[in-house]
Amino acid sequence: MGLVTDRLPGLLEPMPGGSILITSVDAIINWSRANSLWPLAFGTKCCAIEMLMATGAPHQDMARFGAEVARQTPRQADLMVIAGAIVKKMAPRMRLLYEQMAQPRYVIATGSCAISGGPFMYNSYTIVRGADEIVPVDVYVPGCPPRPEAFFWGLLALQKLIKSGESIRHPGIRKKPVLAAMPQGITADEIKQQLRTLLEKENTIDIENEANNRSWAQKVDQWTQKI
Amino acid sequence: MTAIVRTLDEILIAPAHPGRGATQEYFLNMGPQHPIAHGSLRVILLLDGETIRKVIPVPGYVHRGIEKMCEHLNYRQIIHLTDRMDYLSALMNNWAVARTVEKAAGIEINDRIESIRTIMAELQRIQSHALWWGVLGMDLGAFTAFLYSFRDREIIGEIFEETIGARLTMNYIQPGGVMYDITPDFTAKVKKVLAYMKRMVEEYDTLLSGNVILQERLRGVGILSEKRAVSLGCTGPVLRAAGLAYDLRKVEPYGAYEKAQFDVVVGTTGDCWDRYYVRIEEMRQSIRIIEQLIDDIPAGPTMVTKFNTKIKLPVGRYYNHVETARGVLGVFIYSDGGDKPYRLHFRSPSFNNMWAITKIAPGWRIADMIAIQSSLDLVIPDIDR
Ligand code: SF4
Repeated sequence: MGLVTDRLPGLLEPMPGGSILITSVDAIINWSRANSLWPLAFGTKCCAIEMLMATGAPHQDMARFGAEVARQTPRQADLMVIAGAIVKKMAPRMRLLYEQMAQPRYVIATGSCAISGGPFMYNSYTIVRGADEIVPVDVYVPGCPPRPEAFFWGLLALQKLIKSGESIRHPGIRKKPVLAAMPQGITADEIKQQLRTLLEKENTIDIENEANNRSWAQKVDQWTQKI
Repeated sequence: MTAIVRTLDEILIAPAHPGRGATQEYFLNMGPQHPIAHGSLRVILLLDGETIRKVIPVPGYVHRGIEKMCEHLNYRQIIHLTDRMDYLSALMNNWAVARTVEKAAGIEINDRIESIRTIMAELQRIQSHALWWGVLGMDLGAFTAFLYSFRDREIIGEIFEETIGARLTMNYIQPGGVMYDITPDFTAKVKKVLAYMKRMVEEYDTLLSGNVILQERLRGVGILSEKRAVSLGCTGPVLRAAGLAYDLRKVEPYGAYEKAQFDVVVGTTGDCWDRYYVRIEEMRQSIRIIEQLIDDIPAGPTMVTKFNTKIKLPVGRYYNHVETARGVLGVFIYSDGGDKPYRLHFRSPSFNNMWAITKIAPGWRIADMIAIQSSLDLVIPDIDR
């Protein structure tokens, strides 16, 4: 991305219509980043079974969100899912793993252990009270363990963050972390329904509508004329 | 007797160069971030080429001090911490503490509670072994096994969700009973699941057991003899695979195991294949146990003590144990007469089973190390506590 993010803006900006182009390139880059997250299989405890293994399995299937390629090495991953308690002995290793991950990198803290120490908050002499003491966290997913649906809720929150986040003009900008708690009183079926509609909206193209909707093509025409 | 304690730095002295023409040994670090670590176990290997010369496990990367924390909690509150040790057999962990407290406080449990506990525990044993089977497949490169086992895990998990309300950290078996009564259609649902799992266990067998690659990688690898298994304190399927028919459910029947007919599965050689097959066979036996118990669950209350009463144990030392999916989980309580333990210790099965790798892995290649460690079915938070 070096060429696109570093050199291109400077070349395009002075051109007529250049800034519009940059903005749309931003949208494309962020869209592809959000939909191709590669999580690092970093699980220390019980949450790992639910967050990394059950979500990757057929019943929940993380592949629907484009985040199923769990990598074992941090160098090929850009999403760290902190699933489980972090203790003092593990903390430096986790920092190292985070620093080895490819840029831009994102962190989801799942489970109360990773958020605050959870059940081990009091009276424990080894626990790190919150993974955000060690690495910057983007999305918190509460629960002990969170349901896989809750994890997807957090994943969608992260995707939203990414889509509205970094841009070519402001590289490396970080949005404020969010708490992706599910609304109170929501049932598992309702969540599934919501996820389904979201997926359908995002990933299907209504061909007839698209053909009638000429605005996109018109815009491109305008730009080319300007240039 | 003197004990010499050496730090890791003292152990890890680089071997001297043996001179021209000979090979040099070197250290390789496996974990804590490694797919075989199943969490975060660090293993240091002394290698000669690809051959393992020595194995040094370094646990402690998820040590949360559960035993110390228990000293600040009363006997009912301790239960929820035991879920977090061996989370794949959370119910059996609950049971171990509940049983120790009940024996010490003299609480009599009725047959209904015993039956429900046994059925739940056996369901979880099936779930745990099925999950292990999938993970072993994944470790050895057969990703399909993982997909199959997690599909079935959800089906058993639905029963837990409906009865207990949790998927993983159950907190269900309490001193004096169980948290919630079973739902009215529990029996019908369990029967359906059993019929399904019966088919599935056969499918597991045909899908993976006959595979030539799997057989080559497991047969004859990592042989743990009976004598060595006993001296290391291994329990559970690891010990039974070595040929000793020691199963607490049979040796010292608790719960409703006395009422049920089942066989203790034993291996012959103690290699990885035996450990694999003992677990497959144990799933069948667990199905058998539940089938015998599910039809006549006795009537009665599901909690014999009041929820908000404090349980006080008389002064003394108490020990009791149950057979979890990984082996014997023992609970030792030193009580000073209060409602909190003065000292509490867990004898966790994974901790003892882990030391088997130091004896059986040397001499094998790194690739075999994966099979050996996976076949021991270690749960790291159970080791570290
Ligand atoms: S939040 Fe709960 S389930 Fe998750 S790792 Fe901590 S104790 Fe385990």
